Amino acid sequence: MGKAICYKEWIKTRWYLLLALVLMTAFTAYCLLNVSRVIEFKGAVHLWAVMLERDAVFIDLLTFLPLLTGLLLGIFQYVPEMQQSRLKLTLHLPYPHYRMVAAMLLYGTVTLCALYGVSLGLVTLRFETAVARELTQRVLLTALPWYLAGWAAYFLTAWVCLEPAWKRRILNLLVAAGVLRIYFLAPAPEAYNAFLPGLTLFTLLLSLLSLLSVYRFKTGEQD
Amino acid sequence: MTEPIIECRNLTHYYGKRLIYENLSFDVPRGRILGLLGKNGTGKTTTINILSGYLKPRSGVCRIFGEDVQRMNPRTRQNIGLLIEGHIQYSFMSITQIEKFYAPFYPRWNRDAYYQLMEKLRVAPGQRIARMSCGQRSQVALGLILAQNPDLLVLDDFSLGLDPGYRRLFIDYLREYAKAEAKTVFLTSHIIQDMERLIDDCIMMDYGRILLQQPVGKLLEELRQYTFTLTADGPLPRDERLYHPSAIGSQGELFSFLGESDVRRILDEQHVPYTALESHRVGLEDAFIGLTGKY
Repeated sequence: MGKAICYKEWIKTRWYLLLALVLMTAFTAYCLLNVSRVIEFKGAVHLWAVMLERDAVFIDLLTFLPLLTGLLLGIFQYVPEMQQSRLKLTLHLPYPHYRMVAAMLLYGTVTLCALYGVSLGLVTLRFETAVARELTQRVLLTALPWYLAGWAAYFLTAWVCLEPAWKRRILNLLVAAGVLRIYFLAPAPEAYNAFLPGLTLFTLLLSLLSLLSVYRFKTGEQD
Repeated sequence: MTEPIIECRNLTHYYGKRLIYENLSFDVPRGRILGLLGKNGTGKTTTINILSGYLKPRSGVCRIFGEDVQRMNPRTRQNIGLLIEGHIQYSFMSITQIEKFYAPFYPRWNRDAYYQLMEKLRVAPGQRIARMSCGQRSQVALGLILAQNPDLLVLDDFSLGLDPGYRRLFIDYLREYAKAEAKTVFLTSHIIQDMERLIDDCIMMDYGRILLQQPVGKLLEELRQYTFTLTADGPLPRDERLYHPSAIGSQGELFSFLGESDVRRILDEQHVPYTALESHRVGLEDAFIGLTGKY
């Protein structure tokens, strides 16, 4: 049954995922081309100097891209469920309700993992060949909150979409915007290092909000 | 008495402060096709939502196969086919994809039953359900329920949006299937002529209560429409056994389970100025309007 649930989610999101993969790869490649250009025209030493002295990470263009991909994945996955109360069909399946939603969230989490993995993998590969491991880690640790924001945006979008009452949905939307702000409070490289484990745990806990929306759907909450 | 498949006891529900119904109780016996009839706003869809577990009533309990619907074992839902108002399905799928999706959830899945019905639609296997007509979508929804092969079918306003041909096709398939396999069906529809061809029993709902629950054959056998001509301005009869007396011009009308002589006696006792009292047998739609009123 888990396979069937993934199959449904795949049908809803496959074209979007393809587009997201192309965009994510293209934007990441563009940033990395910039790194290659700096090395080619000014030398690797200049790259090191800029990274150390001016706090440059060269992938700033990616700051909001994971957030956008997570948010759009949530929309593509959960809006069709709520159109014409189609969630009733999903919850009528002979499968535990909360496990069903957890399976849908897991699908989204894993596909985002794959998308972000491609992007972070490319970044790692390019920087590893040009700079010291410490500097590569610096870039990755700087970018990690952006990618966590992508998962958070996905979980929050699911929470907002699955909420059955419009008034509450708008309230959820405002709360979600506030929560996402947390991930972009400090633009300096590695500003979140000490906070990263806590932020990761917090992001994972956001997934539980969708279960609350489903509980409200099941009890018949409406405007 | 046949064992009930659905038991609802003392259901009370409000939307905000608006009472939908209070202490509503009914049973659906095994192997019967039962239609829930009621005007808009009497709580038909509310009842279906409570039965499906998507609405928690303020008080009362609904049991299906003996289990409280609010705490139903997921496996029990293998045995309940649900048709949502408007034949809603996963419209982003094609007819092949949707069959492939549902099949693993149901151990008694009958693929052939689904594809036999789909062959009549003359649509490409890859065509998305969203691009089908309402009639075609209704057949997809019905085909999926037939393939699921449940013992109980719950259908919410199955005739919504269907033209007469598709309505007839849906009814004929459903009745044939339900009777051949001794299935229990609980359904609503706003087109009552359709119900007459399909249902064994009916529950008529008025605002806040059940007006009656009985076999359709018994209802149509016993209920009569009485027409009469008013000979002067005078009062229409007032008696709880006479349903919705009304007059347009000099033509009077009322409905009752009483025989003609009893009706005549009540009219005489109440000095109603009438003549030409006639008794007529009625169809289900007239019975419904007669018992619930036109307004």
